[in-house]
Amino acid sequence: MVDDNEVITVVSEQGQTVELVSVEEWIENIDSLAASGKGVLIKPVDDVTLLKDSLNKIALIALDFVGFDDGRGYSQAALIRNRWGYSGEIRGINTHLDQLQFMLRSGVSTYDLQEQYQGSNEHDYTHGFSICYQAAANNADMKEKF
Amino acid sequence: MYQYNADDTAFLVERVDQFEKQLNRHLAGDLDAAKFRSLRLRNGLYMELHAHMLRVAIPYGILNTEQLRALADVADKYDRGFGHFTTRQNIQYNWIELPEIANLLRDLSAVGLHAIQTSGKAMRNITADPFSGLTKDEVEDARPYCELIRRWFNIHPEFSWLPGKFKIAINGAKLDETALQIHDLGLNIVYNEANELGFAVYVGGGLGAAPMVAPEITPFVAAEDIISYLESVLRVYNLKGRRDNLKRLRIKFMVREHGAVEFGRMVDEDWQQTKNNPELKLNMDELAKLKKDFALPIEPVDLAGFTDTVDFNYSIWKKNNVRAHKLSGYSIVNISLTQLGTAPGDATSEQMRMLADLADKYSNSELRTTKRQNLVFPYVRQNQVFELWQELAKNSLASPHQGTLAHVVACPGGDYCDLAKAVSIPIAQQVQQRFDDMDKLYDIGPININISGCENSCAHHHISDIGLLGLKKNEQEFYQITLAGETLHETAIGRKLGRSIAGAEVVDAIEDIVNIYLDSREEGENFVDVFKRIGITPFKEKVYG
Ligand code: SF4
Repeated sequence: MVDDNEVITVVSEQGQTVELVSVEEWIENIDSLAASGKGVLIKPVDDVTLLKDSLNKIALIALDFVGFDDGRGYSQAALIRNRWGYSGEIRGINTHLDQLQFMLRSGVSTYDLQEQYQGSNEHDYTHGFSICYQAAANNADMKEKF
Repeated sequence: MYQYNADDTAFLVERVDQFEKQLNRHLAGDLDAAKFRSLRLRNGLYMELHAHMLRVAIPYGILNTEQLRALADVADKYDRGFGHFTTRQNIQYNWIELPEIANLLRDLSAVGLHAIQTSGKAMRNITADPFSGLTKDEVEDARPYCELIRRWFNIHPEFSWLPGKFKIAINGAKLDETALQIHDLGLNIVYNEANELGFAVYVGGGLGAAPMVAPEITPFVAAEDIISYLESVLRVYNLKGRRDNLKRLRIKFMVREHGAVEFGRMVDEDWQQTKNNPELKLNMDELAKLKKDFALPIEPVDLAGFTDTVDFNYSIWKKNNVRAHKLSGYSIVNISLTQLGTAPGDATSEQMRMLADLADKYSNSELRTTKRQNLVFPYVRQNQVFELWQELAKNSLASPHQGTLAHVVACPGGDYCDLAKAVSIPIAQQVQQRFDDMDKLYDIGPININISGCENSCAHHHISDIGLLGLKKNEQEFYQITLAGETLHETAIGRKLGRSIAGAEVVDAIEDIVNIYLDSREEGENFVDVFKRIGITPFKEKVYG
């Protein structure tokens, strides 16, 4: 993620540089922002229901997980992926190592780890649990027990 | 009795492995204190200045004797030889060394015990009726539902980082032993008009500085829909609960701000989107299997002609501690761990092993824990109760005080707890000394006294007949008295008697209150009945007059 003079961009899974706009900006100019391939950066305070009707016009959705104890991003991801069926990339940004599996199961598809975790064994935390007890957006590789 | 299978045990081990890695990263300086705090609390670990406390879950209060022996072994191997049974049916160890935690938890996982989500801002262990599956007038045995809901909230991907802690109680009896309306979420098992089983849902209860009785947010959710409904409650709370004000994190504040009707509407709006999702339906096959696992492990016995031993102390103890069982020939026996001079709920490893031996012999190897910090033997043959009583008496665990006013529930308070404003245990001891005449205690009957050392209300003083809350004024210890809190028939927070009372005078005040009760009592009335009839004024006049 690059934050350069207020323009925030991420490089998508496919290698494209996607510029992110806020939820408010998106709502005001859906058609032109969609036409220019913009993504949306969702903060924990944002009301994601505002995006529901234009979801599939969004090139990429970034969810901010910066606050370790702020769990709103997991519900936002679950709504966007599971309930409304968004099929594009959902990027977790400012993410924490210990929360990776929670995030991925909630519907986040790619993530940028915070710098402090560079060099850690990510697999321990993306695949720490092999058994799960509840339905979720993504239980791949897990034995479901519910 | 229900036991975990290989997958469940593997899950517990994965959890310990991950926590051990986190602990090692923290000790190596790679995981800061704030994040580690959030993670360790979810594993039941509190770090205090001089010692570390670990809270181990006893899911819905059921233990087998193998588990109780494992808890005794942990007390010896990793602590100072004792554990503390809590008012939420769990057990705590107070002197744990950090590097030992993972081994301790591995030992416990071998018998299906763990510390998952026993603290922190997550869904906590479920409180249940210790008499589930044992009494005649039960609506439905809550245990299979407790177990399915317990599984569901383990490491929930969406709801593991909530605004505040989230305590759940599930009741299946007509008389509510769980105090479900003081929980963040209470589920009461009911049948609707079509005779289908479901849950009335209460949200937003809690004690502490702003006690609140949870309002009902829906009178009926069908059993098969309960998971999707709970998800909607949690989603609304997770997205819209307050995170800005540290004193307003619990869901009760959200319910209060929006009102129960509006909160219920928000939940319903979300639920309409998910209630038909087949993945969120309760697994009825699994439920049927659990019902079998939890079925009574004993057959009725015919004790025609049996007459019990007559003995003064035994009879008093029996009146207060032995309950009717739904199965003929059996009784339910309550065992108090509260001894004069010890902290309520404390048990030594020797006591735990001795109780395990007795439960093997007299109770089909099963025990229950209760919110009054007692243990229950669920399956005792009526013709063995006297024998069991003798064994308990030999081990000082059959004081006839049990179930009387002298059985005070007190939090650790000023003697043990850093947060305390006043002592609890010494006041409990003074009450026991003041009321030491057995005949008088017997006459007074079962009045509850609960003492909390600060507003955190660990001893649940708000829902007691006589509640004491420790306060500090000008460096002196005072107690705020509340009267006639209750949860059994309906839930009511105790009413404040008046200005707080100095520690030296508080036992006199309790005696005054008891005397007003005795003078005013009419045939068959308990403390709350009398209070409702005569009001608070006579109590006030006597204490402050
Ligand atoms: S009520 Fe207060 S003093 Fe008592 S144990 Fe809880 S926190 Fe400590």
